[in-house]
Amino acid sequence: MATMAAPTALRPHTDAYGGESGIWAWLTTVDHKRIGTLYLFTSLFFFIVGGLEAGLIRLQLAGPNKHVLSAEAYNQMFTMHGTTMIFLAIMPLSAAFFNYLIPLQIGARDVAFPRLNAFSYWVYLFGAMFMNFSWFIGAAPNGGWFGYAPLTTMQFSPGLNIDFWVIGLQILGVSSLAAAFNFITTIVNMRAPGMNLMRMGMFTWNAFVVQFLLVLAFPVITIALVFLQFDRFFGTNFYTIAAGADPLLWQHLFWVFGHPEVYILILPAFGLVSEIIPAFSRKPIFGYPVMVYATMLIAFLGFGVWAHHMFAVGMGPIGDTVFGVTTLLIAIPTGVKIFNWIFTMWGGSIRFTTAMKFAVGLVGLFTIGGISGVMHASPPADLQQTDTYFIVAHFHYVLFGGSMMGIFGGIYFYYPKMTGRLLSEKLGNWHFWLTFIGMNVTFFPMHFSGLLGMPRRIYTYEAGQGWETFNKLSTYGTGVLIIGTLFFVYNFFRSFSNGAIAGNDPWGGGTLEWSIPSPPPEFNFARIPRITSRYPMWDMKTPALTAEVPHTANGDKRLDIDVAGKHTAEGHPVPIGNEPKQPAESGMHVEHATGESAKDLGIPMPNPTIKPLICAAGLITMFSGLLFIHEDKLPLALTIMMGGALIMVVSLYGWLLTPLEDAH
Amino acid sequence: MSHAAAHSPHDTTHGHPPTSTGLDNKKIAIWAFIGSECMLFASLISTYLIYKGRSVVGPYPHDACLPPQCSTPLKAILNIPVTSASTFVLLMSSLAMVLALAAVETKDQPKHTTGERILGNSKLWLWMTALLGITFLGFQAFEFTSFVHEGLTIRTNLFGSSFFTLTGFHGAHVTVGVLWLLTLLAIDYRRGLGPKDALNVDLAALYWHFVDVVWIAIFTLVYLIK
Amino acid sequence: MPVPTRLRRPLAAALPALIAVALTACNNAQYPNSVFHDHTEFNRQVGHLFDILLWLGGFVFIFVETLLLYTIWKYRRKSENDRPKHVHGNTTLEILWTAIPAVILAIIAVPTVQTIFKTQAVASADALQVEVWGHQWWWEFRYPQYTTTEASGKIDTLTTANELYLPVGRKVNFKLQTIDVLHSFWIPQMGGKRDLITNHVNYLWFTPDSVGEGAWNGFCAEFCGTSHANMHFKVFTVTPPNFDAWTKHQLTMAAFGAVAPAVAAASAVDTSKRGAQTPQSQPGPSQVVQTTPTTGSPNAAAPGTVAAASIGGQPMSATPVVQQAGYVAFPHDKLPRHVIPQTPLPAGLAYNESLKGDPQRGLDFMTKQMGGGCIGCHAIAGNPMMKALVGPNLTHVASRTTIAGGIYPNDTKHLTLWIKNARRMKPGVIMPTLGAGEYDPVTKTNIPKTGLNDQQIADIVAYLQALK
Repeated sequence: MATMAAPTALRPHTDAYGGESGIWAWLTTVDHKRIGTLYLFTSLFFFIVGGLEAGLIRLQLAGPNKHVLSAEAYNQMFTMHGTTMIFLAIMPLSAAFFNYLIPLQIGARDVAFPRLNAFSYWVYLFGAMFMNFSWFIGAAPNGGWFGYAPLTTMQFSPGLNIDFWVIGLQILGVSSLAAAFNFITTIVNMRAPGMNLMRMGMFTWNAFVVQFLLVLAFPVITIALVFLQFDRFFGTNFYTIAAGADPLLWQHLFWVFGHPEVYILILPAFGLVSEIIPAFSRKPIFGYPVMVYATMLIAFLGFGVWAHHMFAVGMGPIGDTVFGVTTLLIAIPTGVKIFNWIFTMWGGSIRFTTAMKFAVGLVGLFTIGGISGVMHASPPADLQQTDTYFIVAHFHYVLFGGSMMGIFGGIYFYYPKMTGRLLSEKLGNWHFWLTFIGMNVTFFPMHFSGLLGMPRRIYTYEAGQGWETFNKLSTYGTGVLIIGTLFFVYNFFRSFSNGAIAGNDPWGGGTLEWSIPSPPPEFNFARIPRITSRYPMWDMKTPALTAEVPHTANGDKRLDIDVAGKHTAEGHPVPIGNEPKQPAESGMHVEHATGESAKDLGIPMPNPTIKPLICAAGLITMFSGLLFIHEDKLPLALTIMMGGALIMVVSLYGWLLTPLEDAH
Repeated sequence: MSHAAAHSPHDTTHGHPPTSTGLDNKKIAIWAFIGSECMLFASLISTYLIYKGRSVVGPYPHDACLPPQCSTPLKAILNIPVTSASTFVLLMSSLAMVLALAAVETKDQPKHTTGERILGNSKLWLWMTALLGITFLGFQAFEFTSFVHEGLTIRTNLFGSSFFTLTGFHGAHVTVGVLWLLTLLAIDYRRGLGPKDALNVDLAALYWHFVDVVWIAIFTLVYLIK
Repeated sequence: MPVPTRLRRPLAAALPALIAVALTACNNAQYPNSVFHDHTEFNRQVGHLFDILLWLGGFVFIFVETLLLYTIWKYRRKSENDRPKHVHGNTTLEILWTAIPAVILAIIAVPTVQTIFKTQAVASADALQVEVWGHQWWWEFRYPQYTTTEASGKIDTLTTANELYLPVGRKVNFKLQTIDVLHSFWIPQMGGKRDLITNHVNYLWFTPDSVGEGAWNGFCAEFCGTSHANMHFKVFTVTPPNFDAWTKHQLTMAAFGAVAPAVAAASAVDTSKRGAQTPQSQPGPSQVVQTTPTTGSPNAAAPGTVAAASIGGQPMSATPVVQQAGYVAFPHDKLPRHVIPQTPLPAGLAYNESLKGDPQRGLDFMTKQMGGGCIGCHAIAGNPMMKALVGPNLTHVASRTTIAGGIYPNDTKHLTLWIKNARRMKPGVIMPTLGAGEYDPVTKTNIPKTGLNDQQIADIVAYLQALK
């Protein structure tokens, strides 16, 4: 295995990104792979922050009447745990994969708007820092991630806590929206020749649907937050009790965003799993079109079920019926996905890498979350479940058992593509089993504590209520989860320099990203591939197996298969390089890292630029100036806001009036 | 936003493959952006409608409140004739925008008559669009000030809060549009806008028309329907 | 790859087993707040629905997980040369696993919709009406069908705090409102929760029928700020005669030091029976215990009550009200363990057991000298100085089993410390820290020497404890 045909592929080239390294190169990067990497590191950091917050929460609840946290600290902790995990960990973890994978899967050299992409990341980073800065002045948000008015209005929350939350979420919304416009354009417009929509990788499909959810859901919460912000800063009446305001306005606006948000969190993981399961089953995804339609249907129905979060608010029997039934409906496409995954494995040849274990873990655990989801789709039953630990159990099965399992699987699957090295399977095995066991020990007992009457969001509880055992179990489980995560962190950093060399295609994947070196060169594809099927790599390596696949959807013939400028040779199946420790099969069908730069090859690449970062910094400055209004420093606030706006506008003009690339 | 068009994706000599749809990336992105903006205004308008008639104190938008219901008489505050005028102004600005785009697209074609020269004058039509936009904003400023004089501020009641926020957001969008138009004008004066810039003018036009259409919705739902 | 299977199989088998254990455990006194107790028709309906959901959910769970485990075991890679056939889909199968879940969901939807309409119908007019007001962080219960007129002509509605008395077998209709932020009213053993929403009125009704005299926990289930966790209440289901006796007693003027001589003759008997602690009560003839003239009358409801009560296997005779006249409150010595608050006191609060308070001194101090500022927030019927509505009504505070939103027992020690430093005992509470030299965690200052001294607090406590 050391005698590779292409010796340059042996070492993951740290100069894959055009040779530039060092801080400045990262600050000015517009490369989607670097930005994806930045997203990955930042969001994993915040995942750990959110995990530590969860650890403190569980210590406080390990037994009755504990004093690990004060009431106030606990409320800040659970608010920030939810906010962090949703907005600072899982969403940007998904964004890391969107960034890294979408261009690779559709055969593009970058996203449609590389500088906007950098801007999205910097806004996310600064927004995350802004929100967490609140810890250091002792005013972390404390109104819950759902921020129900009127508790979050000035009358009941006069401190800066809620201001940090309101402003922080708006900032993060800017980031998500900018990224979503970018990815929609990328997927609609930058697919390689022959890559029609129904040939896209399942991950790209899920990502595509998620972008639409983002584009349509985020404006709604932005408006809800704008109202709250105006109430808090300018004395408007949107949530003012005395003015006759209706607190349900906030709830409706919040959940019109909040329920699609659930699918924003879970669909990327579904996409990753839909790549992992076929690769390790050596079978294409079962029922590809149905999977695509199911994803779209989930997203569509996702906008019609928001009020199932509000069955206890007294909507009346008609409202409850409508939202109960639509919620039940959404279980159908979700169930279809589960069965299609199982039947992708059915008849396959399943190899249990760590990535595959996490993927199977998602299928098994998400099912539990789905079943409990159906239980509270029934409004009368939900009246006993809502706002109890039963719900906490449910959505952790969905978000940890679903999203995080999928994302961990995705990290094990794509780490070699990103770094050129494999994560250790041995440590990965520990990580998986500790996570799987820890997750079940933590969250399964919560079903019981909830049905035994334990409300959510309580910082303390009394002895003798029948909750002690289950809470103790949950806390032990969290300990196991933390140990499992330590294995992951160690593995992640250790493998960066010590992992086995991956080669182009360590897993025998079928999609386009496996045709190029790991890590990919800055231009991704030296030649833009021509696509004739959903699994071009399998067409190339095992043409006999894919012979039945129709390849003539666009009038193109099987022989047109062209990956990295090489045509397949019909009738000469090439074994799949499936040993993880071996570099990819070094046949002549894949691109090798040649060390040639984009310049050598005459490929136009966007210039690095610091302007998106400055623009993002201006935006944050502008927003954070608002805080000083509540400190009774209006002139200072205005100065900061005007200054930030000026920085933003000037750098934006500088950015827009500078060409993306050098003229040729 | 203008130079970037020099690298049209159709221009394969620069090594970029053609786009999948044949449309420019920016065109796709602006449509996605407009989709998002639709939800933004839908939320604002829904809020206005939800809170309609729920203010506990006046002034109210339509219904006059006379003694004995009110101790002091309150007249309906919305001035429909004035707003109809400003709506007309904004509609006309859309027409001017269409002409501006056409002028940019046909810049290279020979102009023979005075009429053709006027129609082909991109600066004229961009100015016209921007000025009509500014006039609309002037109407809005007048409306806001007169409301404040009549005792309606953003803090007064639910109507005030939702009305000023909704129309204020729209006004902010018009302001951004005007700045965009002025930027295009600056470029036009510096080096002249031509058919190669048509895409960038088209983007501004799409945005401008969208803002215009939103106003039609606001005018109908807020001002006309009682 | 048998490893995952080996471990996952027992786990998968354990999960339904655990559900079964929980279900069988639901009648165990170990789980006093379990939602599986069917004490009301509301809970029976929800429980029936829940059973359907659990059985179908359990079936789907076992089916899917078994299929998954079988698949990953059966199709594990046996040889590196395995080259499975590429199957792209199967229309029949895919239709099947769209249709079958749809059928299952329809099976859920039908009883769901039926139950929605049943549980959300308008409560019948003869129901006991209870107004529930949410406060940060305590509960106010008002019984609008039970009123009394003070000598001054002021009409008092039966008002209590954090303790809810419900007659067994009578439908009770809760009118849910909040004066501040959102709360959610929840008695796990009685019925589903319903939110208290600012500027809205919500309703929830049920009949505690299959239950005898007992005590239950209630919680706030919607996050409402710092002490959301400390917003409990206690529910007492009592026999209709005892309920009537309780309402009569609650409607009397303050049992100690009432300035207005306005206690009904009937009540006077009760009061005198309560012994030596009420020497100052001045029963007068003018008070009339009123009930709303229509079906809301306790007597009118009594026949239905008896029939319903026998459903629970605890037939109760329609005892004449007079025979229950000695009844003041749920007997404290019969409280089940799970309703007795276990919250430990924060460290560093000094309590001097030997100090004896004097109720008259306490009364004078509170009302004549306005000591402690009690009059700013609390009401005591019959005491014209005590009319404020911010905090709980204290007219019969001594008859309650708990204080502070149901998190501390109502005894001398806890009451003393509560008055001394409420804010250390319940984070964020509006009730101020009053004891001299005490640290107030909200204002982050020490109370000056002008604050209440231990003797003054003991006097106030003595007065409050006289308010039976």
